[in-house]
Amino acid sequence: MDFSFSSDQQLLKNSARAFLDEHCQPATVRLLWDDPRGESESMWKEMAQLGWHGLSLPEAYGGSGLGMVETAILLEELGRAAYPGPYWPTVLSAAAIEAAGNDAQKKRWLSAIATGDARATLAFLDRDLDWDPAAVTTRAEKSSKGWTLSGTKRFVPWAHVADVLLIPARAPEGPSLFLVDPSGAGLKLSPVQGMDLATRWVHLEMDSVPVAGDAVLGAPGQAAALLSGLLRRGAVGAAAEMLGAARRCLDMAVGYAKVREQFGQPIGSFQAIRHKCSEMLLEVENSHSAVYYAAWALDAKAEDHELAASVAKAYVADASRKVCGEAIQVHGGIGFTWEYDLHIYFKRAKALEAMYGDVDYHREQIVRRATR
Amino acid sequence: MDLNYSPEDREFRAATRRWLETNIPKQELKTLDERKAWHRKLYEAGYVGMLWPKEYGGWGATPMQQAIVQDEMARVSAPPAINGLGIGFIGPTIIVHGTEAQKKRYLKRMLTAEEIWCQLYSEPNAGSDLASLKTRAEDQGDHFVVNGQKIWTSSGPIADWGILLCRTDPKVPKHRGISCVLLNMRQPGVEVRPLKQITGSSLFSEVFMTNARADKSDLIGDVNGGWAIAQTTLGFERGGNALGRVTRYVTAFNQLVKATKELKRGGKPLIDDPAVRARMGRIYADLEVQRYAALRVLSALQKGDAPGAASSITKLSYTEFEKRYYELALEILGPFGQLMVAREEFEEVDTSSGEPGTFATAFLWSRAGTIYSGSSEIQKNIIGERVLGLPKEVRADRLKA
Ligand SMILES: Cc1cc2nc3c(=O)[nH]c(=O)nc-3n(C[C@H](O)[C@H](O)[C@H](O)COP(=O)(O)OP(=O)(O)OC[C@H]3O[C@@H](n4cnc5c(N)ncnc54)[C@H](O)[C@@H]3O)c2cc1C
Ligand SMILES: Cc1cc2nc3c(=O)[nH]c(=O)nc-3n(C[C@H](O)[C@H](O)[C@H](O)COP(=O)(O)OP(=O)(O)OC[C@H]3O[C@@H](n4cnc5c(N)ncnc54)[C@H](O)[C@@H]3O)c2cc1C
Repeated sequence: MDFSFSSDQQLLKNSARAFLDEHCQPATVRLLWDDPRGESESMWKEMAQLGWHGLSLPEAYGGSGLGMVETAILLEELGRAAYPGPYWPTVLSAAAIEAAGNDAQKKRWLSAIATGDARATLAFLDRDLDWDPAAVTTRAEKSSKGWTLSGTKRFVPWAHVADVLLIPARAPEGPSLFLVDPSGAGLKLSPVQGMDLATRWVHLEMDSVPVAGDAVLGAPGQAAALLSGLLRRGAVGAAAEMLGAARRCLDMAVGYAKVREQFGQPIGSFQAIRHKCSEMLLEVENSHSAVYYAAWALDAKAEDHELAASVAKAYVADASRKVCGEAIQVHGGIGFTWEYDLHIYFKRAKALEAMYGDVDYHREQIVRRATR
Repeated sequence: MDLNYSPEDREFRAATRRWLETNIPKQELKTLDERKAWHRKLYEAGYVGMLWPKEYGGWGATPMQQAIVQDEMARVSAPPAINGLGIGFIGPTIIVHGTEAQKKRYLKRMLTAEEIWCQLYSEPNAGSDLASLKTRAEDQGDHFVVNGQKIWTSSGPIADWGILLCRTDPKVPKHRGISCVLLNMRQPGVEVRPLKQITGSSLFSEVFMTNARADKSDLIGDVNGGWAIAQTTLGFERGGNALGRVTRYVTAFNQLVKATKELKRGGKPLIDDPAVRARMGRIYADLEVQRYAALRVLSALQKGDAPGAASSITKLSYTEFEKRYYELALEILGPFGQLMVAREEFEEVDTSSGEPGTFATAFLWSRAGTIYSGSSEIQKNIIGERVLGLPKEVRADRLKA
C-alpha cells in the first residue's frame, strides 16, 4: 500500500510545474483569450516534445506507456495553470483509438498525436443534456460508401482545431463510434463560448455527413461500454484538472491572507479567514485522495474503478467550486476584478464541472453501484 | 503509487477473518465482565496493543495490520476492545515519559483491561483552553493532595485509574504550572457522578476530588512539566481505526439502502425517488473519499512519516463528514429516522460510536466528534497556523503572557 508518488512521478510533476510556470503564465492565458484558435501552437509542440501527448500511449506509437496516474499528475498541473488547449480531449481520443481501433486507425492517428501533429476530440453530448452514452440520438445510416451521420453535438471541446472528431452515433446495430473528418461535407461547426474564455466549445450540426465504411472504431453497435469507459476516464482527468485549479486558488488565498492587512493585522489572523482557508485545504487534500485513487484504480483495473471515477468527479466538482469561490471571498474586492487572476481558475473549474458527466449524473452512477 | 495490499497484509487479513469467525461472541455482551473477557481474548490473539513495543506487552505490529484488524472487526460488527483511552494514549504516554517502576506497575494491566483508565483533563472552566485548568495538587513531600473538579470524563464510572492534569504552581503563567500525575480512582477522595448525554446514556461523568491522594511515584515527568506531556500527541493507535471507521459507515449505509427499499412513498420505494438518490449519492461519494483518505494516512504511517498537524485534517474531515452523513440519513428517513429502538425497517445500526442503537443514535453521537479531542474550531486553528502558516491570531491570553 503506497499512496505517495514514486520518484519518477514526482519528477514528472516538478518538470510539468516548471514548464508551465514558464510557458503558461496567467498573462499567456489572457493573451489566448483573444486568439481565434485559443491555443498556442508552439506550446503544443513543446508539450509533445516533452512526451506529454504520448505519455500513456504504447511505445510502438512513440509513447511512453505510462498510466492514468501520470496523466492525472500532468492534468493537475495543467489545471493549476489553467492551460488553454485541446490536450485532454486529444489524449482521451487517443485512448479511445488505442482501445478500440484497428491497426490502420492506430497507425494513422496515434503516432501523429504523440508527435503533436494531430489533435482530436470526442463529442459526448447530443442535443439533450444526457451523459448516458446509450442515450445517443445522432443517427448513423448505412450508405453505398459506408455511413452517413445526422444529428447535433453540443459543447464539443476544441473541435475547431481538431484533425479528427470521434462521434458517437446510433447505427442500426446500436451505439457506435465514428472517426470523422471535421472538414467533411454536411458538417457545420460553430463556436460556443462559455464564461471560461480559455475553454473552447463547438456546436456541431451534421446533415448526412458521409463517413467511410472503415471509419468505425471497433464493431458497429458495440460502442456503449467503450463510451462509458471513456466518459469515466474523461471524468477522472477533468477531476485532476479541477484539483489543480483548486490548489492554485488555495495557494493564492493563503498567500494573500498572510500579507493583506486590515484592522492593523493580516487578515489571515482572523479566524473567519483562517478557518475558511483550513476548510479549503481539507477539500483540496480530500480531492487529491479522490483523484489519485480513481486514477490508480483505472490503471490497476481495480474492481471499484468505475465507482471511484464517479466519486472523484462528483466530489472534486463540489470541492473545487467551493475552494475557488472561497478564494475570491478571502480576497475581498480585488478577487472580483478582471485584472486579478483568480477568476481564471475559478472559471476553469466551473467549466470542467459541467463536462464528462456533471455532479447529478455521477451521483446517480454512484447510487446504482452502491445499492446493488 | 500502488494501492494494492501486500501479500503479507492480505494473508494477515485472511487470518484475522478466520479468527473472528471462530471467536466472535455469539451473544450481545451485557456486563463489564463480559466485555473484559472479550477484550482479554482479543489481546491474547494479538489484536490489542498491536503497536505497543513487545517489551511492554504489545505486539510490535504495523499500522496497516492494526487497521486491518479494526476493519475486519467492523466488517462483522464485532464488539470493540475496551480501555481505548488507556491503550491508545495513556499507555503510550507512560511508555515515553514514565519511570521503569511505573511501566512495570501499570502497562500490562492496562493492556489486558484488568484496570480501566480514564482521562482527567477537562474542567467546567477549562475545555479548549485546557491550560487554564484549576484542579490543585499540593506537594506534601511523598504525595500530592488533590482538590478540584473534572468533567466530561469518559469511562469515569468504570475507571480504576485516571491520568490527571493538575495545577502545582498557580503563580507562574498558566502553561508552566501544570503537572501530570496518575490518580487512583478507587479512593474516598474521588467521587464520580455520571452525566447523562443527549443520547440518554451516561458514558461520561463528573469527577470531584476532595483531598484525594496521588503518590509522588505516580508523577509523570517533572513537577510543573505536565503541559509538555499533555502536548506530546503520542497516539500509538493513530490511524488504527481509519479503515474500520469507514467500514462501519458502509455497514450503516447498507442499512439505509435496506430501509429505503422497504419504506414507500406514493406506492414506490424511497430508493426510486430522485431526491433520495441524490442524497444517497452524495453520502456515498463522501464516504468513499473518507476511505481513500484513510488509505493515504496509512500509507504515510507505514513509511514512518509522522502525520503531525496534518492529522488535524483527518480528524476534521471525518467528524464533519459524520454529521453530514447522519443528517442526510435522517432527512431521507423522515420520522422513521427518529426512532431510538430498532424495528423491522432497519435493524440495529453500527453507529461507529461504540454505543449500539439506530440512525437516531448515530445522528446524536455525530454531534460529539466535532467537540472532543480538539473541537473543529481548534483543529482549524491548528491547520491554519501550523499547516498553512497563517499568522497567529491576537488573543487576550497571549497578550497577557
Ligand atoms: C462589485 C463591488 C462594488 C463595490 N462598490 C463600491 C462602491 O460603490 N463604493 C465603495 O466605496 N466601495 C465599493 N466596493 C468595495 C467594497 O466595499 C469592499 O470590497 C469591501 O469593503 C471589502 O474590502 P476589501 O475589498 O478591501 O477587502 P478586505 O477588507 O481586504 O477583506 C478581505 C477579506 O478579509 C475579510 N476580513 C476583513 N476584515 C475582517 C475582520 N475583521 N474579520 C474577519 N474577516 C475580515 C473580508 O471579509 C474579506 O473576506 C465594491 C466592491 C465590489 C466587489
Ligand atoms: C462525548 C465526549 C467525551 C469526552 N470525553 C472526555 C474525557 O474522557 N476526558 C476529558 O478530559 N474530556 C473529555 N471530553 C471533553 C472535551 O475534551 C471538551 O468538551 C472539549 O475540549 C471542548 O471543551 P468545552 O466542552 O469546555 O467547550 P469550550 O472550550 O467552552 O468550547 C465551546 C465552543 O467554543 C469554541 N472555541 C473554544 N475556544 C476557541 C478558540 N480559541 N477559537 C475558536 N473557537 C473556540 C469551541 O470550538 C466550541 O465550539 C469529552 C467531550 C465529549 C463531548
